[in-house]
Amino acid sequence: MPALITIGVWIYKPLVQTFQLATYEWNLLPFSPKVFVGLTNFERLLTLPDMQQAAWNTVLYIVGTLPFSVFLPLAIALVTEDLHPRWRATYRALIFIPMIVPPVVASVVWRWLLHPTNGVVNLTLQNGFGLDPISFFRDTNIAIGSIIFISGWKLIGFATLIFAAAIANVDRTLLEAAQLDGANRWQSITRITLPLISPTLLFMALLSVLLSAQWSFAYINVLTQGGPRGATTNLYYLLWQYGFGTFAVGWSSAAGVILFVAFGLLAWVGLALIRRYSFYDA
Amino acid sequence: MTADTPRRRTRPNVVGHASLLALSLLSVFPIYWMIATSVRPTNELLTSSLVPSALTWEHYRYMWDAIPMDSMLVTTFLMSVAITVTQLLTSLLAAYAFARWSFPGGRILFGLFALTWLVPFQVTMIPNYVLLSNLRWLDTLWALVVPQTASAFAILLLYQSVNAFPRDLLDAARIDGANSWSTLWRVLVPNLRAPLATLAILLFISSWNEYFWPLLVTRDIERSVVQIGLQMFLTSEGNLWGPMMAGATVASLPILVLYIVLQRQVVESFMKSGLR
Repeated sequence: MPALITIGVWIYKPLVQTFQLATYEWNLLPFSPKVFVGLTNFERLLTLPDMQQAAWNTVLYIVGTLPFSVFLPLAIALVTEDLHPRWRATYRALIFIPMIVPPVVASVVWRWLLHPTNGVVNLTLQNGFGLDPISFFRDTNIAIGSIIFISGWKLIGFATLIFAAAIANVDRTLLEAAQLDGANRWQSITRITLPLISPTLLFMALLSVLLSAQWSFAYINVLTQGGPRGATTNLYYLLWQYGFGTFAVGWSSAAGVILFVAFGLLAWVGLALIRRYSFYDA
Repeated sequence: MTADTPRRRTRPNVVGHASLLALSLLSVFPIYWMIATSVRPTNELLTSSLVPSALTWEHYRYMWDAIPMDSMLVTTFLMSVAITVTQLLTSLLAAYAFARWSFPGGRILFGLFALTWLVPFQVTMIPNYVLLSNLRWLDTLWALVVPQTASAFAILLLYQSVNAFPRDLLDAARIDGANSWSTLWRVLVPNLRAPLATLAILLFISSWNEYFWPLLVTRDIERSVVQIGLQMFLTSEGNLWGPMMAGATVASLPILVLYIVLQRQVVESFMKSGLR
């Protein structure tokens, strides 16, 4: 009897939870409350210039974040592979800090550091190198770079740690065997280390591709609100603006559906790629 | 690596040290600068001298007068604790159920949980907002906490630990006459302290840092969280950098203290979550 009751509770409870979660997803289609407009929202959206700029910026965010989430951390993790454990622990503790800093705090602090006239970065550029002050968040060409940099700043230490841990898990005997066979360092990295950590690498890359446009939300909202002239907006931000800025619920929802489908597909392809190209140390 | 594995070589790794040192500086300097600015006398704010010449609390006092810091800190703390505790409970129960029994539709349910990971928050925000506003929960702690009482992330993380737990021990407990409920609390939970602590740390930090959802469901600054308060302060008095940095310091202080105290556990928590 107790077992029966427990099972009942156990099946029932996840069911309810799933049901809730499922309703959240189902609910995402409340087209503008009263009027049924069919697919016109989608048609309008796709032809909107805002949307095109945001879509292009989303691509920029995704591509721009990759160096911070994959390439740089990988390089750093590789060159720091055999540091003394005590040093490693110290560096770890330090480079991890940005990850836990609240995004709003990060935005505020970087806004101060990058302030056009009084920020320490521009002061140093001016006094140390005699350069003109840079308006990091107002210049249409630079603003998106600044936002990407701040989200990257939060990520880079974390990604480095993940890769370093993956590298530490590589079986040393394989590397030693390769050395005995006359492999140089470059060869043992490309032939042994990289294939063995490929699941971690690909996973991180996928995570970065899927989430970088979302990660930047807080920075966009605090620092630029999508401006100047839409230069830093992206699809998620546009969604937010439609929904709660202009209350165009229909548009926002339609954009949400498009995004969900697009990123769902991307995730599906990504996971398939990971499964196909990952190389497991059996 | 075990201690008896011979290190491959011990020559000083100059490139390694240099790049990590640079990265460490980049990581820590902004935080240092935030704290330094917050305690500098006003007339020194616009210089780029590295160390403040004198310490002052005036910025903190100003900031505390300008925004309802006390109530926001309390709200944020309550929200973070509530989210952490409820998510621990729901994910523990769900992970136990999924790992322990195979029931009809279990795999589908599990898949449905896992898939929620792919649903961006921004996509579900409007229906959630409408629901909360119909419940008249806006501007309450309920709105901040209730939608976040379960997450795929927590369930998946715990599922792995529960699944890795030796089945024989669970079976032995059953033979000894323990029902599933007491098996869970007497056998499983004491042995899962480490993953549970990991999850608790992650959940607390992420809910403390939460920005998007509070932004959506709270309108009244008195009832909002510190992150929102900080942003509002930035919009209203954005050029008062001393008080601004004082606010930023206070908003991140609990997390930084937690990090200093539990440094190794925090780092490991995040690494486990990323390595799966």
